[in-house]
Amino acid sequence: MNKSDTHLLEIQNLSACYGKEKTVLSHLFLNLAAHETVGLIGLNGAGKTTLFRVLSGLLPSFRADGIFFDGHCVKFRDKAFKTCRYTVFAEDNSFQYFTFGEYLSYVFASYGQKPWDVTELIKGFHFEDHAHVLLKDLSTGNRKKVFLITAFALKPKLLLLDEPVNGLDFQSTEYLYQLISGYKDYGTVLFSSHILESITLTSDRVIVLENGEIRQTFERGQINASDIRKALHNENNV
Amino acid sequence: MPQISERHCTMKIMFKPFMKKLFGVKYERLSRTLLIDLILFWGLSISGFRTKIAPAVFSLTVSVFTGGVMWQALSSRDNTDDLQNMLMLPFDRRKMVFSYITALGAYTFLTKTALLLAVLLAVSNWGFPGLLTGLLCGIYGILAAAALFSLNRYRYVDGLRIAALTAAIVLSADHPWFLPVILAGCLSSFPVLLYADGYSFASCEKAGRHRRALAPVTGTGMHHRRHSMLRYLLRYLSARKNYLANTGFMWGIACVLPLFFRQMESLAVIPVGFAILSLNTPLCILLSCDPALEQAVRFLPGQERAFCLPYCAFIFLCNLAADSLFLTSWQLLAGGVPFLMFVTALFFALASAVCSVLLEWFLPVRNWKIESDLWHHPRKYIVPAVMLLAAGIIGAMLWG
Repeated sequence: MNKSDTHLLEIQNLSACYGKEKTVLSHLFLNLAAHETVGLIGLNGAGKTTLFRVLSGLLPSFRADGIFFDGHCVKFRDKAFKTCRYTVFAEDNSFQYFTFGEYLSYVFASYGQKPWDVTELIKGFHFEDHAHVLLKDLSTGNRKKVFLITAFALKPKLLLLDEPVNGLDFQSTEYLYQLISGYKDYGTVLFSSHILESITLTSDRVIVLENGEIRQTFERGQINASDIRKALHNENNV
Repeated sequence: MPQISERHCTMKIMFKPFMKKLFGVKYERLSRTLLIDLILFWGLSISGFRTKIAPAVFSLTVSVFTGGVMWQALSSRDNTDDLQNMLMLPFDRRKMVFSYITALGAYTFLTKTALLLAVLLAVSNWGFPGLLTGLLCGIYGILAAAALFSLNRYRYVDGLRIAALTAAIVLSADHPWFLPVILAGCLSSFPVLLYADGYSFASCEKAGRHRRALAPVTGTGMHHRRHSMLRYLLRYLSARKNYLANTGFMWGIACVLPLFFRQMESLAVIPVGFAILSLNTPLCILLSCDPALEQAVRFLPGQERAFCLPYCAFIFLCNLAADSLFLTSWQLLAGGVPFLMFVTALFFALASAVCSVLLEWFLPVRNWKIESDLWHHPRKYIVPAVMLLAAGIIGAMLWG
């Protein structure tokens, strides 16, 4: 089944739950345009991480009326979809016995690509001194850099970043903002954050998530910190 | 009196979170485990199978098994992290240590030792004295493991104390002075634990991690080494000493197994040895015991080839090494190993590796509380059981 429109990813009526009782996402309609940067914001427990887990094919307990990628009906666990997206999780302790270089090589091989020069990304994130250290011996922030460098080196069509700013130092955060803003040349970014600045500085569109549903969307030109803050306060009062 | 009540209350505050973590919020795991113990005991009792177990063997088995499981529980990264978080709170040092040890000890005894006792008491005629002996040996094992674990500088000295006491317990097992000896063994661990610091139960691994993180780094990081999953698995194995010890132990078994098997005077028994040697638990629970790694291999594309194949090759090589040692030992002790047996060894090493990886891929063990649950999970016997069945068929067909 094909669907021809300009959306890179279109998800219709998505609901997800943990177990039988705990519904985290309900009746969620999400459209991501090609070459767009979308910020996702919401209070704790709003369903941001669950959405990333569903998109990454990690949560089987979900249902949706339709999932379309590049106009084609897909499943999140299809290899074809997997090779078009990469996720940086809020917390990731995987492959602890690889060094950064080995992890990069492993991921590129998994995506069927050849690793290329990532010197600029390494310098941008000030990661030069840690490239040969096993991931388990890195600090939380440096481990986050491993996955961020890999993500931006891989340049997938769809980049999913779950709270990418957490744990990063000031300089790396600034560099990350630049990378997110410039990613439109390669593909689409969906990223979540609790830092309003990161959302307002980089996003073309901001989605406010509340109790697993999209409460409000701010389009380009409407994005400003005070309105988003207001929306979040309202959510809190609800 | 209010002081006693206050102390009791503080102990309870620390003890309860540990217990709830290990047994479930409503202690549901405890009733489930005890029910399994009862069913096992009852089933074995009515089966009519009886054997004579010497008191020394009984005491040694229960003490060493309990001590080993307690050590695994204390080494569990999960528990260490939990304890680190608790240690940030202003708790009394001794209360913290005793709450932690009591919770882990209760978990070890009730979920693991009780199962062993159910089997031993059902097949022997020990009755109530056996239960009492088992209880005392279990407590001794728990306290000895905790005391030894708490020491960093004088661990070897305490190791000698425990070795001497264990020897005394084993030697006095069928004598009237067994009770005073084992009570002395239990009490002798108390002074060590009284001076133990909560941090000594949480710091071992962290200290190691810190040391490694401070190691000098060479290179600028601009040229990257190509990944190798086999190298990754070797690092994984060598970083976890108990995993390495288990593999070494299996290889030791491979060397001595022909001593027992050659008495059967049939080559058909050799495939049974291959099946037994496929029981290498830590290698076969890689995804189960590392949820972060499982998440990564589930979300990355092409992992059947990138991860499963090298993982399978690694288990195959470890199994083959054990099988080769077994065959070499057999050749040296009894001789007459035909060429076809090497082909059979290859088959068993490969088949058990494939089955183990398939199980991990499609049926990883989840919802475990601490790593030692994985080591004693019934799933670990599935592959050896299938291999034993295959060994029976192949042995009978080719050498029967």
